[in-house]
Amino acid sequence: MRSLFISVVFALVVTAGAAVKKEAGSPPNKDVKQKVLSLVRVNVTGQPYDYFRPWQKKAPVSKRALGAVLSKGRVLVTADLVTNQNYVELERAESGEKTAANVEVIDYEANLALLQPSEKNFLDGIAPLDIAGDTVVGDRLAAWQLEPTGALVATEGLVTTIQMTKYPVDVGQFLTYRISIPMQYRENSYTIPLVKNNKLAGLLLRYDPRSQLIDAIPAPIITHFLKEAEGEHYQGFPGVGFSFFPTRDPQLRKYAGQTGKPGGVYITNVEPNMPAMKAGMQVGDIVLAVGNHEIDQNGNYVDPLYGKIDFTNLISAHSYAGDVLPFQIQREGKPMELKVTLEHRDAKDYVSPPYALDEAPKYLVLGGLIFQELSRQYLKEWGPNWQREAPQRFVYLDHFQSELFPGEHRRIVILSQVLPANNTIGYDEFSYLTVLKVNGQEIKSLNDLAAAVKQPIEGGFIKIETEEDPKQIELEAKSIDAEAPNLQENYGIPSLQRLD
Amino acid sequence: MKGVPILIAVALLVTSTSYGQQQQNGQQPNGAPPSESPIEPRPRDVPPGGRANTPAQNVVAVPVPVAPPRPNGPIQKSLVRITATEVAPDYRAPWNAGMLGRGVGAGFVIDGNRIMTNAHVVSNSRYLTVERDGDPNKYPAKVLFVAHDCDLALITVDSPNFYKNMLALKFGGIPELESTVSAYGYPIGGERMSVTTGIVSRIDFQLYTHSSIDQHLAIQISAQINPGNSGGPVMENAKVVGVAFQGYSGDVAQGVAYMVPTPVINRFLKDVSDGRYDGYVDLGITYGKLQNPAQRKFLGLKDDGRGVLVETVVAAGPCAKILQPGDVLLSIDNHPIASDGNVELEGERVEMPEVVERKFKRDNVKFDIWRDKKSTSGSVQLDTVPPYLMQSHKYDVRPRYVLYGGLLFQPLSLDLLEAYQPTDLRLRHFFDFYVIDQIYREHPDVIVLTNILPDPINTYLAPYRGGIVDSINGKKIHTMDELSQTLAEPADRLVIDLIGDGPPLVLDPKQVEGARERIKMRYNVVREQNLQEQPTTKAPDLQTKI
Repeated sequence: MRSLFISVVFALVVTAGAAVKKEAGSPPNKDVKQKVLSLVRVNVTGQPYDYFRPWQKKAPVSKRALGAVLSKGRVLVTADLVTNQNYVELERAESGEKTAANVEVIDYEANLALLQPSEKNFLDGIAPLDIAGDTVVGDRLAAWQLEPTGALVATEGLVTTIQMTKYPVDVGQFLTYRISIPMQYRENSYTIPLVKNNKLAGLLLRYDPRSQLIDAIPAPIITHFLKEAEGEHYQGFPGVGFSFFPTRDPQLRKYAGQTGKPGGVYITNVEPNMPAMKAGMQVGDIVLAVGNHEIDQNGNYVDPLYGKIDFTNLISAHSYAGDVLPFQIQREGKPMELKVTLEHRDAKDYVSPPYALDEAPKYLVLGGLIFQELSRQYLKEWGPNWQREAPQRFVYLDHFQSELFPGEHRRIVILSQVLPANNTIGYDEFSYLTVLKVNGQEIKSLNDLAAAVKQPIEGGFIKIETEEDPKQIELEAKSIDAEAPNLQENYGIPSLQRLD
Repeated sequence: MKGVPILIAVALLVTSTSYGQQQQNGQQPNGAPPSESPIEPRPRDVPPGGRANTPAQNVVAVPVPVAPPRPNGPIQKSLVRITATEVAPDYRAPWNAGMLGRGVGAGFVIDGNRIMTNAHVVSNSRYLTVERDGDPNKYPAKVLFVAHDCDLALITVDSPNFYKNMLALKFGGIPELESTVSAYGYPIGGERMSVTTGIVSRIDFQLYTHSSIDQHLAIQISAQINPGNSGGPVMENAKVVGVAFQGYSGDVAQGVAYMVPTPVINRFLKDVSDGRYDGYVDLGITYGKLQNPAQRKFLGLKDDGRGVLVETVVAAGPCAKILQPGDVLLSIDNHPIASDGNVELEGERVEMPEVVERKFKRDNVKFDIWRDKKSTSGSVQLDTVPPYLMQSHKYDVRPRYVLYGGLLFQPLSLDLLEAYQPTDLRLRHFFDFYVIDQIYREHPDVIVLTNILPDPINTYLAPYRGGIVDSINGKKIHTMDELSQTLAEPADRLVIDLIGDGPPLVLDPKQVEGARERIKMRYNVVREQNLQEQPTTKAPDLQTKI
């Protein structure tokens, strides 16, 4: 096995060398020599939480990547590189010198993170990269990778599309560059900077080796992130809290009472307690313009750099939480202006949080019954096809949460599995149940449940009511306490609960 | 390639010599041992040259063994080959007649000039013929009764000559585990009757895939069963102990085949004895074991290993009148129910629903109930639970639909899901939880906008596909009939609200009216709606007219 592995690596190095020669032969890349030092290697050991055994972490995974050195001794990487990290290390490419690093700011939604070396002078002598903000379709960007020797490999590609796409944690859409590029594998392909005229134009978001297409986090999103990171409290990208639909259908425009020329989007849902509702927006309104930008029937505005692009870019990339953005709307034919104060919606403000990273999952083990809070992070334990493979009621509750629990601040507590024990005889086949009540009290969080179990009902019983069959489960309070040490011992559970 | 089938054929010839006399035809391969002269020339031997393009053309036909010793008697005097021409409804173009197909299965003669087979052999059939061994004729047949819930059917042949020389088979009981049984039928690999033997491997409740929701007793046997065996008898000691009906394809599991056992067959025969098939009845409840000591104590039950917990009571089921969630069932028809859900019936421990399995529509069942630590009792008249049908395959019906302005509305069902394979989470939820969450109470029909036949009047409506109709012009729509009526009512405009956060779907009835003939012509739509799942062929007289 070992010899095979080495030969594979060798083959890759050879092709890499060939590629460099070729690139150096054709149009000489002026960036190469000068900018070698703008990169550092980033070595990360991460350990995700195990949602199926929420008291423990999974086996550690190591990743090697690149970071872009920015001004003020900061290093920019993608958030998914340092998510759930235990240890981050920076390594100078030319000397192999290493130091530990801290994650200063991280934005999971925009997939960006800033690192700072623990040794203040570690990055001395490295020329920082500036940000290139004016990339347009047709520009050529160079992907920067490092050879094992520390030499730079720059591969050029063409920006083919600039559009809004979903980022890995799937909260809203962000601006994305799509680049057609014949990039080869290197040992550290995690965060790859894309450079234009010695300036950072983007960071690799995903790469499809078959079609040789890169999606990159673009400079405007990076700039937004960096600008906010300089402030005291990093909030995150702003949102408004509505859903919309194109107004291409003349029947729908007529129904909405739209007058004047066609254009704008039809508001189909306004979420409670969110900026749009606070500003007075209603279902059925037609949004004609945001800021000074007119919106067409498909929901696009004309961007000076990119041309037609989805108007949500005006909110996410161009505005900050706390900004007041004027929305020109038409309500039953009458023009109105709504002043929307943008807010960032934290993952914790969802009923089923879309992600929970770098934080330990809550749980409570009661006599062998394992209770947890539903989140998309939990559902993703079922793998890439979690929407099909995870328990269908949970997928439904997560997907339709804003429709099912409008404006509610709550969690969905689930009985995820049962550890066979004296208290759970006859219950050991139960799994994936939705908890409604415990001891007669409605359960809207794991803390509710923890409080409710402390108040047994008559006879010293704890009664759990579930949405699904079996509908009711009873335990004896005193027996739970008596058996707790055994349970911890048998299943290696250091603590029977984690509530914060 | 040709060598392989020839070798197989030789091997078959050699093994079958143990049955006694052999009979050969003109295609004997080189090297095969010369045969004895045929005892009974068979008219249906493969002719020289065979049929073009049939994989079997190089296979030497295996003669039907005729002489003893054969424990099950002359089966070919009872076995028939059934050829069904069927029309499966097309849920994607429900105005069309559907796809024409042909299937071959087996059947066997039972008393009263009846032929028993599987429901799936004759489902959706438009024309049936029956053949028997040693007779060159094809006899048109008609369906007497079909039981889709237990995959059994009875058919008959009108021709008076047919039953001459035929022997009606008798039924046996449940064979012992490990006992040897033989399956007869017309599986792939040749034209003539085939026999395979195996042992009884398992006796248990199984899903009957024909309806895909019914579970009944089934017996797993190790005899090879392949397409074409369906409906054939499985015999032990000259008695039918089951009807071969389903198995796993070879890539899933090998040597796992199932037969419908005689308790299910006898129930079917008894059910149809009054001239109609009523089907299986159901309690319409879910229940759970009561093995947890704390739970038993909480409910005030003794530590006697008795009782099951009622969890869900389906409102449309017969038990809704007397049971509620949280009740404990102590006995059913005076049979004590153990805490693991078993009861003792005729000396055997079986699951509680077995008591109901043996009953018929309008029979009663009596429960001793433990409620709020007091004992009570109740009796209900059993019935079918209609909402379950939404989740089952349907046969011999025309799909319901309404086409309006090029928009195709259809009620959600298993067949619909299989035809469209939607990934929409809401549709899947409405299907999966239709009964258990009692969605049928608000939506007896879950009306889906399944497709849009493009036309200038609906050109912007594609994003609405897959939506579920909630209301029209503010009026809630519960059934396809209501949908059809509401769409026909005069209105200036139609605002169709779909369930969820999406925008309303708005149509101008005048435009729809103007586009009607155009859409019908362009898409060859013969009928714009069908609201009745009326039987398509089951009036037996129709059969002979075709």
